[in-house]
Amino acid sequence: MTRNDGRAAFWFLLPYLTLFAVFLVGPLAYGFWISLHDWHVLGKEVPFVGFDNYAAALGDDLFHIALARTAYFVLLTVPAGNALSLLVAVGLNQRYRATTLFKVCFYVPVVLSIAVTAVLWRWLLSSESGLINHYLGTRVQWLGSPTWAMPSLALMTLWWGLGGNMLVYLAALRNVPKEQLEAASLDGASPWQRFWAVTWPSIGPATLFCLIMSVIASSQVFGQTFILTNGGPADSTLTVVLYMYRQGFGMYQLGYASAVAYLLFFLVLALSAIQIRLMARTLRSR
Amino acid sequence: MSVRWFLAMVLGLVAVVAGQGCRHAAPTDERVVVVDFWNGFSGPDGAQMEKIVHRFNQEHEGRIRVNMQIIPWGTFYDKVTLGLAFGGAPEVFVIHVNRFPEYAHHGVLGPLDDLATRDELDREDFVEAAWEASIWEGRLRALPLDCHPLGLYYNLDLFEDAGIANPPQTYDEFMDAAKKLTRDNDGDGRPDQWGFAFTWLHSNSLCFLNQFGAGLLDDKLETSGLDTPQASQAMERMLDIIRAGVAPPPEGQDAWLGFQTGKVAMALEGVYMMTSLVEQKGLRFAAAPVPQFGPRKAVWAGTHLLAMPDGLDQSRREAAWTFMTYLSENSLGWAEGGQVPVRKSVLNSPGFRRLQVQSQFAKQLDHVVYEPRSIHSNLIATFGDSAFEAILNGLQPPEKALATASRRIDNRLRKR
Repeated sequence: MTRNDGRAAFWFLLPYLTLFAVFLVGPLAYGFWISLHDWHVLGKEVPFVGFDNYAAALGDDLFHIALARTAYFVLLTVPAGNALSLLVAVGLNQRYRATTLFKVCFYVPVVLSIAVTAVLWRWLLSSESGLINHYLGTRVQWLGSPTWAMPSLALMTLWWGLGGNMLVYLAALRNVPKEQLEAASLDGASPWQRFWAVTWPSIGPATLFCLIMSVIASSQVFGQTFILTNGGPADSTLTVVLYMYRQGFGMYQLGYASAVAYLLFFLVLALSAIQIRLMARTLRSR
Repeated sequence: MSVRWFLAMVLGLVAVVAGQGCRHAAPTDERVVVVDFWNGFSGPDGAQMEKIVHRFNQEHEGRIRVNMQIIPWGTFYDKVTLGLAFGGAPEVFVIHVNRFPEYAHHGVLGPLDDLATRDELDREDFVEAAWEASIWEGRLRALPLDCHPLGLYYNLDLFEDAGIANPPQTYDEFMDAAKKLTRDNDGDGRPDQWGFAFTWLHSNSLCFLNQFGAGLLDDKLETSGLDTPQASQAMERMLDIIRAGVAPPPEGQDAWLGFQTGKVAMALEGVYMMTSLVEQKGLRFAAAPVPQFGPRKAVWAGTHLLAMPDGLDQSRREAAWTFMTYLSENSLGWAEGGQVPVRKSVLNSPGFRRLQVQSQFAKQLDHVVYEPRSIHSNLIATFGDSAFEAILNGLQPPEKALATASRRIDNRLRKR
């Protein structure tokens, strides 16, 4: 690349970089700055407190509960969600009529906002008049019981987010080398063997991408619990972002809320790094 | 289409939009002071308030024009707070009594003493608790509009069927009535008509605590008030009602819907819920003061305060004050929508006495208990609520849940 190319590239990148800096890097840095202060929205003074907010959050048992509940939600949604998305993608990757119609059907929930989805599921999950209890013939308090509230939110999230990962998996499945699949069939491999030996390794990067994105998304779960359970019953669906929201917009403690946001950020960053490491090793070893 | 035409169209559009904006912003008359008034009355109470504002605007035509904006409570405080912090706050806004200390502490509410003194506003005409609640560090920072205590709503038809003539006043009478009112009509071993149900755990639990002499904080507002024998006794009494089988565990119940549809015979709710019963077809109900469940008379209550931001210019401040006092003086109309006014002159008026339900609630005005006057009140309440929920659903024994809540409250109070 010549020097002129570099200059041209700079000018082409400039608009994006400007927006990136103004709307992402700037607020991020400012958020970190806020997290180092005792910053009440209405406070005339905002004393610098160093990492006190971080220490306070790490020492708060409600924050621990929120972390544990968020981890539980991630465990409920990420493996099952990815398995389902892959399953549906494999199903839709076959040649039969109306696959496009099905793709659209599976993808539609992704387009819905979480508010709409949550209101819809509130009706489905209603203990008195909900369809789910009606068909199961049960009277379970899906959202009213500490045991069932989180799994119910996870179930709803699976339905809501299925289509997004499905598209990624579908695209990856299209790129699985046909020659290899054919060669495997000729060698007498069963469909199951073909999937494990040919398809699965070649969609590895897509799987990694989907896993990371879903861990990030699930760690930030908010709308579901905010709208349907508001953290209850008895804190059973109190997630980290809801905890942060309460600090920021219930108590207007922006410093503390920013510290919680940064703690979550570091946690998700660490999780993503670990996933990339692990997956990269697995992919290389193949 | 040529570029020139396109530009002309865009410019035209901009001109139209900008023109609309200007027309909206510019008052028709320079002398008219515009007062923005924000509240969260998104139910039938909003319609009632709209009427009063409309009347005010008619009576003050050419001088003051009030623009009322209803913002549902869920986002109301976010808007007000950001407006107060960064500009854009309305001239008059409503604030709940339990949120008042937080705002008063930060000095964002304008003082009203001089205006009240000048206009000889008679403080003796106000219910004392409400007036005291509007004062912060010796200065009047708001004007109380109403008081909304809990009360006992009861279903007249179910009471008649059970042969109960009067609403219960004591715990024993209450349990006696609740037992008679609980029925398993279809014989499946599960009552399909309950004598009582806890509706909003927050207000119901605080009411019981207050009657046992406990509260979220101690009297000095320095430590948690939940780690006391009295608090445990209060929660035990609530549990007794559930254990006796006359009230369902609150888990996943829409208790208020149950009362509206005649499946629950008694409930403790605020006076503001009255309108949702009036609208219910086929429901005959009445109200009474909250029975005495504990050793002392006390009832949970809230109040809507009217406040203006600090630092308004003179003309807007005057106009805001005129409007606030108008609302206060004309609070009979407001009471009709399901409120208890705090002006004694209104309370004693024949117009208010005619309001049967509201008058029953008003009987409790001399022993209403507000939530603690702490700047952390809003946060502390969430700790209490978690405990109440866990206790009443049988997830944790009262001592354990109350101890957890107390630890959280004390932690919070220690941090400044």
